Parts: sequence; structure tokens; C-alpha cells
Amino acid sequence: MSSSARARGRFVPYLLTLPGIGWLLLFFAIPMVTMFSVSLQEGSLEQGYRLTFHWANYSQAFGDSSTQAFRSLFYAAIVTAVTFAISYPMVYWIAFKAGRKKHLFLLLLLLPYFTPFLIRTLSWKFVLADTGIFLGPLKDWGLLDESFRLLATPLSVIAGITYNFLPFMALPLFVALDRLDPAMLEAARDLYSDRFSAFLKVTFPLSLPGVFAGSLLTFIPAVGDFIDAELLGNPSTTMIGNVIEREFTDSFNYPEGAALSFLLMAGILVGVALYARWLGTEELTG
Amino acid sequence: MTEIDRREFIRKAGIGAGAFTASAWLAACGIGGNDGQPSGQASSADPLTTDQINGTLNFANWPAYIDKAKGKSPTVEQFQDQTDIRVNYKEVINDNVSFFATIREPLSNGQSVPWDIIVVTDWLIAKMANLGYLERVDHSLLGNFSANAGEIYKDPSYDPGNTHSIPWQSGITGIAYNSELTGRDITTVEDLFDPAFKGKVGMFTEMRDTMNLVLLGMGVDPQDATLEDAQAAQQKLLQQREDGIVRQYYGNDYVQPIGNGDLALTMAWSGDILGKTLGGNSPIKFVVPDEGGILWVDNMAIPQNAENPIDAHEFMNFVYQPEIAAQMTAWINYISPVPAAQDILKDAKDNYTRQVANSPLVFPTPDIESRLHHYRNLTEEEETEWIELFDEVVQG
Repeated sequence: MSSSARARGRFVPYLLTLPGIGWLLLFFAIPMVTMFSVSLQEGSLEQGYRLTFHWANYSQAFGDSSTQAFRSLFYAAIVTAVTFAISYPMVYWIAFKAGRKKHLFLLLLLLPYFTPFLIRTLSWKFVLADTGIFLGPLKDWGLLDESFRLLATPLSVIAGITYNFLPFMALPLFVALDRLDPAMLEAARDLYSDRFSAFLKVTFPLSLPGVFAGSLLTFIPAVGDFIDAELLGNPSTTMIGNVIEREFTDSFNYPEGAALSFLLMAGILVGVALYARWLGTEELTG
Repeated sequence: MTEIDRREFIRKAGIGAGAFTASAWLAACGIGGNDGQPSGQASSADPLTTDQINGTLNFANWPAYIDKAKGKSPTVEQFQDQTDIRVNYKEVINDNVSFFATIREPLSNGQSVPWDIIVVTDWLIAKMANLGYLERVDHSLLGNFSANAGEIYKDPSYDPGNTHSIPWQSGITGIAYNSELTGRDITTVEDLFDPAFKGKVGMFTEMRDTMNLVLLGMGVDPQDATLEDAQAAQQKLLQQREDGIVRQYYGNDYVQPIGNGDLALTMAWSGDILGKTLGGNSPIKFVVPDEGGILWVDNMAIPQNAENPIDAHEFMNFVYQPEIAAQMTAWINYISPVPAAQDILKDAKDNYTRQVANSPLVFPTPDIESRLHHYRNLTEEEETEWIELFDEVVQG
């Protein structure tokens, strides 16, 4: 190889990343900077918005919306726990017991998600309607009180998010469990471990990277979700995503909406950093 | 397309662009924008840019807000044939605020915008007129308006003397209810606060609609409302929420739940409910409450320094002919500012058009008209206060 070819070769990695960097610059870095600028502006729609480094937007945003922020974290935590409890046994079975049909079951698990998010959530409204196909007959038979409802309750919001984010938990868990070398379990049994302690001491620790990835992939978007709360919730289930959406589309308080978005982002980053430290994932994922 | 699509859905989809304009970006880079003060102030002596017909008209309107046949508008075609003015008709307005954001900057610098007629809602007319962003209309060129417009469209509170605008179409904010679920007729705003309907009441996320309707229910004329009245309305709404009476605050999406029984009664826009009430057998009814309902009016106006103001007047006058107004209403199904259109539509050949002609939601009876109010004109300061009060209500 000539020296000029070697010199060219040095640039190849950079050239390869160029499209990605360009994309991120255009659709991530620039919007982020713009949004950050918006979060420090003051003004109104009539007067226009001007950058005045108005940091009070942040304290104002936090003061106005801390209830919804904590509610979102609370809902997202429940959702993460429930998706975990539902998916772990399911994908465990698929990974270890489904044999050659593994991929069929995986497809079945994902099938509902071929339908758009919005359609799925709207169909919940239809199924769970107060006098709909599910509650209607139960009420007619006198099994439920006329005023009983599932829609417009915290339960329906949490259940809706859980349903919508299930694959984000299930898939990373599946990947982690599927990669597990069966020889490890055989070794555990050879060393007189019973099935339960083999699970606790071998299977589960080895699936931790999946747990970590799955819970992040579920928790982070769940905190910011607003569709479920809007369609399935009531006035007391407002989440932080709804507040931000409203600041932009109804109140036209762009600065406070932008400030709130950054607060949310910062909160999640700190949370994730602590979580990563606690689970010590550098070893696990590295 | 219905009102919901125009007012809410597209609005939610296309987030307003106000804060992301070039000047915001320049400001972000440390370059000063303009000082934000309106400099295009119009005085009564401020003349139009011309007193001649130029032969061109640039018209900005909402989607599905004019009659259509085979992809063209018969009204626009007839106007072009009769006047030799070429109409550049664009459906570029998806909501008041984001459209305003697109023209605010040139207007505030005293520059012209590419439109000769814009159609925006009454409260924005008041705001723009106040900022000096609209030309005064010359009523000597609008003979059909003075001859044919309904009385409630003349000299409105948002634009006294129609100095800057004349109505395009309008609609009513009132209450829709399912008589099978309520078991009785709903007649008052107070019914929205009845604990008997706990968890079955829908309210709007629209600040103007909700606050003004509740004020009417409290016996306060919105135009006279003080900050204390607005606070009292907020308390009433908070109580209603705390008591679990409100199922949810809705944008456009209340139509499905009132249709399937999840809601017993809800705030509603007349245009959404029209289809359900035609024919007469549906349990869904629309009522303008005894205490009053809100007539919101979308108006034609000429932006400051528009290039073709006389052509604009020609068109504004043209659509106030009863035959033209009828032709548009048969297609749009909103409230026409020309009452005489009703008699023309009553003679229509097809059944649907005759039903539209006889619907009080399209041609309100004098009794209904007497109970209609406009939105409160809010100063910028008041608007901020009201939005803050109302946000607390909907963000539980």
C-alpha cells in the first residue's frame, strides 16, 4: 500500500461517519440549540420573542408543573415494573422453551405493534367505553354499577402506556436471554445448584444488560408520553408531556415549554446516570 | 371537512412557529432583532396603497372553507368571470395563531405581506386592528354588506363599526347532550356543573370558549368581565374538576365520546353536531344555553399595505349577494352572515340542502341570536392572566 493510500485510509472512518454527523447536526444539534435559546426568551406572540437570558423561565416552569412531573415519573416507574413483570416470564419461555417456533412467537408478540400507536390507543377508547362491548354487557347483567368506568382513570392511562411500550422491554430481554449459553446452566446443575438458585445466580445476572436496556427504553419515553394521558385519562392524570404540548399548542408560551423540556431531559439524564452506576453496566454491557 | 379538523386537529399537528422565526434564531446567535414595537400603526388618514382595481387578488383562507365543485370554487370562478380579477386563492390558514406568526414580522416592520384578504377569527381581528396591522375597509365599496348582512354581524364588539373587517362565516359554542343519558332537556350552562352527571361532562381545552361560556353561566357578560370575575370562573371550574364532574378537557375529540355514550353532555361547536342533528331522530341535541352561547366569527380583513385593496373590496362585496352566500353555505354548512341565503336554500332540489336550510345551527332563529355573545376582547396583559388561570384548571 502506498503512503498516499494509507493517508487516505486514515480519513475513511471520518468519511463513513459524515452522513450520520450531518444528520445529527441538522436534526439534533441545531434544534437543541434553537430550543435552548427559546427557553431563555421572553415575549409574546404579538410582540415576538426575544432572547433575554430569562432564566426565570426554568423556575417558573418547575413551579408550575412539578405535580405533573412527579406524576409522570411515578406512572413511568409503575409502567416499567409492570412491563418487566409481564415480559420476563414470557420471553424466558420463548427463549428457552419455544424451540424452533421461537421466531413465530416473537412475531406474534410484535404483531399488534404493526398498527400505529395512535390507532391502538384509540381502539382502547372504543373497547373500554362506558357502555362499550366490554363494560356494556357487564352493566346490563348487573355485575357492575352503572357509574363504573375504566376509561378516564389513572388505571387506564397506566395500562395504556404499559401496553404501548411492552415490546421496548420484551425485545432487549429476549436478546439477553437468547444469547445465554445453555452450557452455563448445565455447569450450574453439575455444581449441585437447584433450578431456582441457577436462575438467581446465573440466568438473571446474565440477563441484567437486557433488563437495563429494556427499562431505559421503556422508562424514558413513558415519562414523556402524552397520547395515553390525553386519550385515556381524566383531568387528574395530566402528565408532563401534556403540559409541554399545551405550552406549545394552546398557551403559546414557547419559552416555558422549552424550559420544561430541558428540565425533563436533565432529570432523566441524572436518573439514568445514577441507575447505570447502581447496576454497574459498564462491565455488563461492555 | 368539519370545524374540528380546521380548528383543532391541524392546529395540534402543526405547532405554531412563532418562536422559531429567523429573528429568534438571529437573537440566539447574539444578533439583535427589531425592538418588537409595532411600527405599522394605521391612522384614519392612512390611505390604501391604491384606489384602482389591479386585476389580481391574493386570498388566504382555511381549508374547506369555500364551495367546491370539480376542484374549483364556483364562487371564485363566477367572480373572475364577472370582474376580470384573477384570484389567487390559497388554503394556507390552519389556525389563527400560527398563521399570524407567519405575517407578524413584516407587518410589525410596516412591510406588506403577500395577501390582500385574510380570514381570521374575531379576537385576532381585534388584536391586529389594535396593533395597526389591518387596513380600514371602505364601506362605500361594500353596498351588499350594508344591504344584506344580518344585524348581529354589524358593529360587533370586536370591531366596532366593522372598520377593519366584515364576516366570512361563523359558528356557535354551546352545549351538546345525549338526551337518553341525561334523561332531561339540558338548558343551562349550570347543567355542566350538575353532580348528577359526575364523570360524564366534557369541557374544552380552548381557553376562550370555556372561560367565556362559564362567565355567561355566572350571569356575567364577558365584555364586562373583570379579573375578579375570571378568577371566580376559574374557581368554579376547579371545583367542577375536583368534584370529578369533568371527564376530560377536549379539543376536537369530544365528538366520539358524546356519540358513544361516554359523555352525557359537553361543550360543543355547532358545526360538529350539525350532522348528528339533521333528520331529527338522534338523541344527540345541541342547545344554546339560556344564559347565552358564544358566536365566534371568522372575518375577512385586508392586511396593512396590501397591494390590491380595491380588488379585495370587490370580492368582499361580491360574496354578500344572497345567491352567492347561499351557494357557499350549501357547501360549507356554517352560519352565513347573509340571512337571505336561507330562503334560497329552502327551495333547493336536494333534501340535504333543504335540511341544512331549516337547521337552527346554520340559520339561528331570532330567539337564539338574541342569546349569542362574542368572545371577550382581551388585552395582552389580560390574555396572559386568563391563560394562567385557565392552565391551572386543565393541568390537574
